This record gives sequence, C-alpha cells and structure tokens, in this order.
Amino acid sequence: MRTYIPIALRMGAAVLITALAGSRASCAPAAEVSDDFRQNCFSCHTIGGGRLTGPDLKDISKRRDGDWLLRWIQGPKKMIEAGDGDAVRLKDEFRGVVMPDISAMTPARAEKLIQLIAEESAKEKSPFKGLSLIDRPLLPSDAVAGRALFTGDVRLKNGAPPCISCHSIGGLGGVFGGGGLGPDLTEAVSRLGGDKALAAWLVSPASPVMRPVFQRRPIDASEVLPLTAYLKGAVAKERPTGAQARLPFLIIGIMSAMALLAAFDAMWGKRLRSVRRALVARNGSLEDRDE
Amino acid sequence: MDIRAQISMVFHLDKCIGCHTCSIACKNIWTDRKGTEYMWWNNVETKPGTGYPTRWEDQEQYRGGWELTDGEPSLKSTSKAEVFPNIFHHPAMPSMDDYYEPWTYDYKNLFNAPEGDDQPTARPLSMVSGEPIDVEAGPNWDDDLGGSPIYAANDHNFSALTPQQKAQLFAVERLMMFYFPRICNHCLNPACVAACPSGALYKRGEDGIVLIDQNRCRGWRSCVAACPYKKTFFNWQTGKSEKCILCFPRVETGQAPACFHSCVGRIRYLGVLLYDADRIKEAASSRDEDLIEAQRSLILDPFDPKVVEAARQNGVHDSVIESAQKSPVYKFVKVWKIALPPHLEYRTMPMLFYVPPLAPVMSAKEGDVVSNVSKGLFHDLDEARLPLEYLAKLFGAGDTGKVRFALKKQMAVRVWRRALTVGDIEKSLAERMLREAESSPEEADAIYKMTALCTFNDRFVVPPAHREMAIEMMEDPQEHKQSAGFGFLSAPKRGS
Repeated sequence: MRTYIPIALRMGAAVLITALAGSRASCAPAAEVSDDFRQNCFSCHTIGGGRLTGPDLKDISKRRDGDWLLRWIQGPKKMIEAGDGDAVRLKDEFRGVVMPDISAMTPARAEKLIQLIAEESAKEKSPFKGLSLIDRPLLPSDAVAGRALFTGDVRLKNGAPPCISCHSIGGLGGVFGGGGLGPDLTEAVSRLGGDKALAAWLVSPASPVMRPVFQRRPIDASEVLPLTAYLKGAVAKERPTGAQARLPFLIIGIMSAMALLAAFDAMWGKRLRSVRRALVARNGSLEDRDE
Repeated sequence: MDIRAQISMVFHLDKCIGCHTCSIACKNIWTDRKGTEYMWWNNVETKPGTGYPTRWEDQEQYRGGWELTDGEPSLKSTSKAEVFPNIFHHPAMPSMDDYYEPWTYDYKNLFNAPEGDDQPTARPLSMVSGEPIDVEAGPNWDDDLGGSPIYAANDHNFSALTPQQKAQLFAVERLMMFYFPRICNHCLNPACVAACPSGALYKRGEDGIVLIDQNRCRGWRSCVAACPYKKTFFNWQTGKSEKCILCFPRVETGQAPACFHSCVGRIRYLGVLLYDADRIKEAASSRDEDLIEAQRSLILDPFDPKVVEAARQNGVHDSVIESAQKSPVYKFVKVWKIALPPHLEYRTMPMLFYVPPLAPVMSAKEGDVVSNVSKGLFHDLDEARLPLEYLAKLFGAGDTGKVRFALKKQMAVRVWRRALTVGDIEKSLAERMLREAESSPEEADAIYKMTALCTFNDRFVVPPAHREMAIEMMEDPQEHKQSAGFGFLSAPKRGS
C-alpha cells in the first residue's frame, strides 16, 4: 500500500507540469520569435537604431524583395557564392563581413523573423532599437579593466571563458599568444564597423561557435564597455609572420618533448625488458657453442 | 595472540622423481582454458637451473617480495607513490617470453597433407597467435640437465658459491641435479595481496588460502610483479589475474589438492598449522639470519592448552584444532625441523616447506674410469656434490646451519634404519650419528614411518571446512541445491 502514495503524488505532479507546459506553449510563438531575433540578429542589427556591424533593418521588407530576404536569411554564404548581385554588393559594403549562417534556419522561422521586423518597424520605439551602452567616452582605465577581463585575470561575471582562451590580440601572451580557435581580434573594431557595433556584438555574440557558449553565460553589461575599450585600443605589434613566427614555438615544443622523454626515462628506464632472451643472447646460443 | 589456522604443505625433495604428474593434474583441472595455456600453477624445476619463469629468483630484475627499509618490510615492486604512475605499465612485469610462448602442433597436417615426396610433419603452432613458431623455450626447458651451459649455468643461487665451487659442480664426475616442484606458497605475508590496487586478492581467514576475486580484479597485474615466486599469472583472455587456489573446492570436501593427490613419489604432505597473526610483521622484519627461527616461532604448538584455548576463542573450530594436532607439516617443520621454507629472505613467510635433498655419493675420474670414492652410504656433507651454500641460499635464507641440521638428521635416520634392517652398519655407530644429529631412535622411526610408509591419511590431514555451517549462517542451503559446480557464475569479460 505504501508504494501507491508516492506514485499517486508523482502522477499528480506530472499532470500539473504538463498543464503548465501546455499553457506556456500556447503563448510561446511571439516570445519565441523575439528571443530568436535577440539571440541571432540583434548583435549586428537594430530596427530603427542605425547601422551596427550589419545594416539597420527598419522597413527592410519595403526595400527588399520578400523572396530574396527569405533566401538570404537561410543561407547568406550560399548566395554570395552563387554570385547574387545584391548579396555581393552587401558584402563589399560591409568590408567583407558576411552574415553568419544560422543553424536550423527553416523557411517558417525566417518568415516569422521577417514578420517580426515588419511589426517592429511600424512601432515608434521598438525594443530592438538598440542599446545605449556607450553613453560615455572610453577611459584609459576602462582599457586596463578590459585587458584583465580579456586575459582572464578577472573572471567574467556569468562564468563565460575569458576571450584569450580562443582569441589572440596584438601580440598578447608572447610566443604562445592567445587561443587559435577564433580570429585575431586586433582589428575587430574596424572589422565590425566601430565600437558601437562591437559593443552590440559583445552583448550577444552570434557566431556559430560563440553563440552556444555565451547564450547561457552572457557577458555582463558592465563588462561590455571595458572590453570594447580594450579591443579598440589594441594596436598590432610588429609580429614575425610565417615560418619565423612558428620557430620559437617549434623550439619550445622540441625542448619540452625532450624533457618529457628524459622524465620517462628516469621513471621507467630501469624497467624489466627481457630476462630469458637477454640471458640466451649473453651466453650465446647452443649452435654457437658447437662450432 | 591472534591465533588462526593455515593449511600448510611440505614437499619432500628426496622423494621427488621429477615426473611432472602434479603439473599435468593441475593443468588439466585448472589451466587448460584459452588465455591460461602458459600458466603452470604447479611446475617442477630442475635445479641447478633457471626455473620458470627464467631466473625468477633474481629479484634485482623481477623486484618481487619485500625488503627492509628502516627496519620495516616494504614492497620491492611498488610503493604508494609508484602505484599511480605505473598503473598502466608496471616496470617489473615479466613478458610472456620469460615464461614461454605456449604451443601445440599442426596435427591436422599429418592427415590432410597432399601427397608428396616427403613425410608430412606437424609444425609447432603458437597457442597465442596460431602462427607457426620456432620453439625456443618451455616451462621445463633443460629438464633433467643439471649441467646445461645456458640455463643451469645461470642459476641465480650460484651467487652464494665461490667460482671454484661452481666449477666443481660442473665437472662431469660431480654433476648433480634435483627437482624442485613449486606451487603458490600461500604465504603468511603475501606480497601479491599487499600490492593489489583493487583489493582483489585476499587470504582466507579460515584456512589461509590466498585467492584472487575474479569479480574485483581489474587486471593491473601488480600481483604478478610483486610475487617473488612468480606464482600469480595474467590471463590474457579474460584480462584478469589468476593463481593456484590450492584446489579449495577439493579441500573443502575433504580431498587433497589435485597435485598432492596425484603425486607419484608421494612427496607431498598437507596439514593445518596454528599461527599467531599478531606477530607476522615482527617476524617479517627480522634480520636475514634470524628469519627461519622467527617464522618457526609464529607456528604454535597445537597441544599447548593455552594455544588451544586462544584458538577456540578466535573461532577456530575444535575439529580444525584436532586436525592441527595430527598435522604432518607440524612434525616436519617444528618437531623434527627438517623442512625449510624456500627463499625466506623474500620475507613473504611462505607456508610451503621443503625437505632438502641428499646428494648422491661422490665419484672420481681416473683415466677413463669413474668410480665411487665415498666411504659408506653418503659423502661427507661439506664435500658433497651440491655445496651446502647452494641449498642454504635456496632453503636457509643463507644460513647453512639450518640446512646442515636437516641433512644430518636425514642421513642419521637412513643409517639407523640400515643398521636395523640390513645390519651391515654397527648399531652403536648409527646411534652416535643420531645423537650428533640431535635425534633419537624413536624420532628416527617416526621420520622413517612418515617418509617411507606413509598412507594417504598420514600425508593429507585435510581440516573439515564446515562449509555447511558457513552457508547456513547466511542463506538457505537448499537454495544452492543442484546449482554448484565449477565455472564462473558470470563469465569475466575483458574490459568489463
């Protein structure tokens, strides 16, 4: 009899949760599509807030053909590769920065995004007008704080990995530099089109690699300004390139490998190799003896 | 006092004829499975010789057993700090070649070979890879070859001899060999148990048999490196280690282990010893020259009322105490003191004891004639074919005194019996020899009876295991009706 009570309780709880989930699902679409915009578009685009890394999307459906927009959202790279005139012109206009492909972008999803942009364009003050993060001039002290955040000396508030784990910048970190997964960020400000665009990018990085990491652990608003200041101030140092750049790394690599081998030898050099074969070899085989 | 019972063994080397029946009995019962072909839980070595695996006695290389550091025994093969860095590759691991690569023959070819000019042959095939191999070594390589140039000449025990003694031993007219059958010693201070990182090895509380739990073994093989007698083996099929189990399913049903049961020369004795577990560490920490006495002092008199009372309080069953009182091993080791442990300097406190062998009479070569130059039945001990130092290295932890005592007593017993039965020796001379050997006619008769006229029940005093009591304590015995037998209840799988 005892076992029935928890089962009944659990079943009740399950029913309750299902009901709640159902009610949430019913009002989901609107929230879902604006979340989608926030996560995937908002770092480069505003609606009525002016140009960031990408163009202002206000009244985009009036300026562009609906079908073209649908295709573009689903595969910008493919369109440029296919040599679509408008697409190539866009690429040139935005200094070669191409909109990233967004994974699992279905026609339905794209349709909803276009609809959302149209609705928001009609509003006087859209929430997607853009953030006013850079509301004061960047100070030298901001750059110092930004450097600490970049290198991980100060941890990012929400627990995201520090920038240096994937990016290098301006010769920081000597021979080893920063991580090699992401691009070098020395020119990031000019590439993204100014510090405002960069700040918007930092609020929700939308690249396929960064998005899943930073979606759950975003860079805090108070951290965006110092990082922007640091990235803006980063100046390319004279860095050797090509084979010359790899040489110190190679030498260090070889030396560490030797050190490791020496350590192995110290630890296992006296291991038991062969007893019987060695014994027979030392004493000569019986055939040798007969000769 | 923490008194426990240990099933112990005596091998009487003077009776061993080197027939390997014990090895075959064991192999047929326990190690004829895939992955165990190379294992010989029981093997018979020819001494002088390097044994199996080759030169196992050389602990400079194999690093088995214990050594004293700051007066405390510590494992030679590993330490707390070394367990982790060596866990995937132990530096003192013998290779299969050091044992031997097991092989069979391509018998099919004898029947199926196409017609040709030559007789078909059965080539040797490796039992590991199945490929044809050139047989280079085996578990009893150079068997019966006491003076063989590679294997016998490199016997590790020769380190105790002078070059002159060694040269004499290899002179044709002085050649000498004897057999050294070996199984797991079921030690009191087992290095294999101490070395296991998984805690899979254990020494049974009720009878001291050392076992590997096949469910807990993770195949790290630390026991293989740690056992100085190299009597734990790695099963390359199951990925687990295995060792001699002293045929515990037979012992628990009152039968002697298979190698004991089948022994043609009747060299094997089995019985219970009562020992004091509290003092094992103290004994294992003794100086080399005191080790034998220290181990003997661990073995307690089963007739002493105090010992009996303490054993009873410790849960040793009355029938086991009774069995200990009848134990032939107790007589050989403690009363007559003619059985000695092998390589006690490894400090594992082996509980298998050997009666050292007597050497044949001495010959001399004059021209082309080789003749007997010994006076009487035996040669003088100090000039025997086999130097005492050799036997002392093997059985006396380096102390020739203990080996001399055992050999002298055996010789005296033989002379005494010769005087009684043949009568060509003066009885007074025989009695004098017995006195010199610290023996008496009564003891000589008892040794003679236990050596020459021993029946099955004299040799094997198997203590009742009372399995029925153990089972009834935990579960319904009917539950296991018709479900007992040999085999893994759940077959061990590699990597499981």
